Formats: sequence, C-alpha cells, structure tokens
Amino acid sequence: MASSAAARTAAGTAKVVKPIFSRDLEEAKRRVRELYRAWYREVPNTVTTFQLDISARQGRDKVREMFERNKHVTDPRVIDMLVIKGKMELQETINVWKQKTHIMRYFHETEVPRSADFLSRFYVGHDP
Amino acid sequence: TARDGDRARQRALCVRQLARSSARFSSGNIAVRAAAAPVLSNLRPFSFVASSQRTRWIEQTRITSSVGVFCRQYSDLPPLTLETIQQRVMYVLKLYDKINPEKLATSSHFMKDLGLDSLDQVEIIMAMEDEFGFEIPDGEAEKLMSPQEIVHYIADKNDVYE
Repeated sequence: MASSAAARTAAGTAKVVKPIFSRDLEEAKRRVRELYRAWYREVPNTVTTFQLDISARQGRDKVREMFERNKHVTDPRVIDMLVIKGKMELQETINVWKQKTHIMRYFHETEVPRSADFLSRFYVGHDP
Repeated sequence: TARDGDRARQRALCVRQLARSSARFSSGNIAVRAAAAPVLSNLRPFSFVASSQRTRWIEQTRITSSVGVFCRQYSDLPPLTLETIQQRVMYVLKLYDKINPEKLATSSHFMKDLGLDSLDQVEIIMAMEDEFGFEIPDGEAEKLMSPQEIVHYIADKNDVYE
C-alpha cells in the first residue's frame, strides 16, 4: 500500500483513484469551507447549550486552530475523510450527544504540556 | 359616495408623493417613520370615510412640521442604494479585527493586499450574510475577493441599480 503510493508519486503519473466525495482539490476545499461555516455558526449555540466557561471568540479561535492543523493536506480523499470526521463531531455537538467534558477536551486544559528540551525531560524523568 | 371617493383619491396621491420623496431620505428617519406608521396602518376603509377630514388635517400638519415622512412600511426596510450598500460593507469590514482599517480600500483584494486567509474570507462573507440578511452560497462566495465585488454581488441579488 505504502510502497505502491511511493511508486506512484515517484513515477509522477497521475493515477486515477476512486474518490470519496470530491473529484478534485477545489471541490474538497469547498466542502471544508462549508464545514467551517457550519462550525462557526454553531459555536455560540454550543457555548450556551453546554454552559461552557469560554467565550464564543475563544471557541471560534479553537475551531480555526483545528482547521489550521490540517492546512497542509493536498490529497482530496484525505481532505474528504477529515471533513467527514468534522461533520460527525459537529453532529454530536449540535444534538448534544456529547457533554461539557468532551467539548472542553479540545482545549487540553488539564494536560501537562510535553517538554521539548533535554533538561526539562531530564528533570521530569524521561525514558531514554 | 363621490365626495368620499375624491377624498380617498387625494389621500392616496398624498401618500404616493410622500412615499416617492421618502425613498430619497436616508435611514435616519426610521424612528419617525415607525412612529408615524401605526397612525396610518390602523385606519380601516369604513372608518376612514368617517374620519378622513381629521386624518387629512393630521397628515398635513405632519408634512409641514417634521422632516420625516410616512409611508406604509409593512415591516420592510428602507430601500437599498449602491452608496448605502458600500457604506455598510466597509463598516462591517472595518469592524473585523484582522483587517487594518487604514489599508482598507474598496478595491483591495483580501488575499493579496490585506493578507487574509481563505477561512478569513469565509468569515467575512458570513458577516455580510448576517448584515444583509440573505444566504450567499459557497460556489459564488469563493469568488468575492474584494469589497467592490461584494457590493456588486449584493446589488445584483437585491436588484439595486443606478
């Protein structure tokens, strides 16, 4: 699977694969924009419904951050799959199938941030 | 009766002239219009005949005394013009925090001149939707890349022309 993908990209041939939803990058980006619109409009309702302690602006910044994380993706099928997962999350949020804790998990408030440099990891006690 | 019909016609003429001149006024007179509208809209045809004299006198004093005019609004907004659309679009854009208001001009491109993202452009289009109260589908929204294009699109959709 990976080797065939590597061979495909190495050869430079545009092999036609079965799309998930969108046929080209443009259509995939359109789906991303639609999803972003839906999330943007949903955030204030979410903050009210779940009685979150964040402001709508913070929520919208977090939505923007989650979208920016996958900004670099170019494969339409990967984008489609990410859009599908985003739509599932949106549906769960709108229908209140989630709870406050699931929404706040996006904000990683109680997680200790992983240290990057050697000395911090040494003090914490890293596994070599 | 003929006299009542005459009065009705004259009153209708008055209202039509006032409605025409009201189209030139800016939206600042909404309060006056809103205050004046219930007076008109409460009148029914059969009671109008009986009270026409009194209401015409009230009308005429209102015409001379106040700058505001009354026209039947039927809960509609004042008519759009290209200048008002442009003012509103620029106002909304100046309120957006990712845009520098000094750099903003009517023909400035969002991505090239103002350095915005495609998601920022989506947010701007959504703000325009909220401002003007109608949906802009994404297929056409992705092409609107400057304030001038947005103004033209809204004028196109709302049949505003000069």
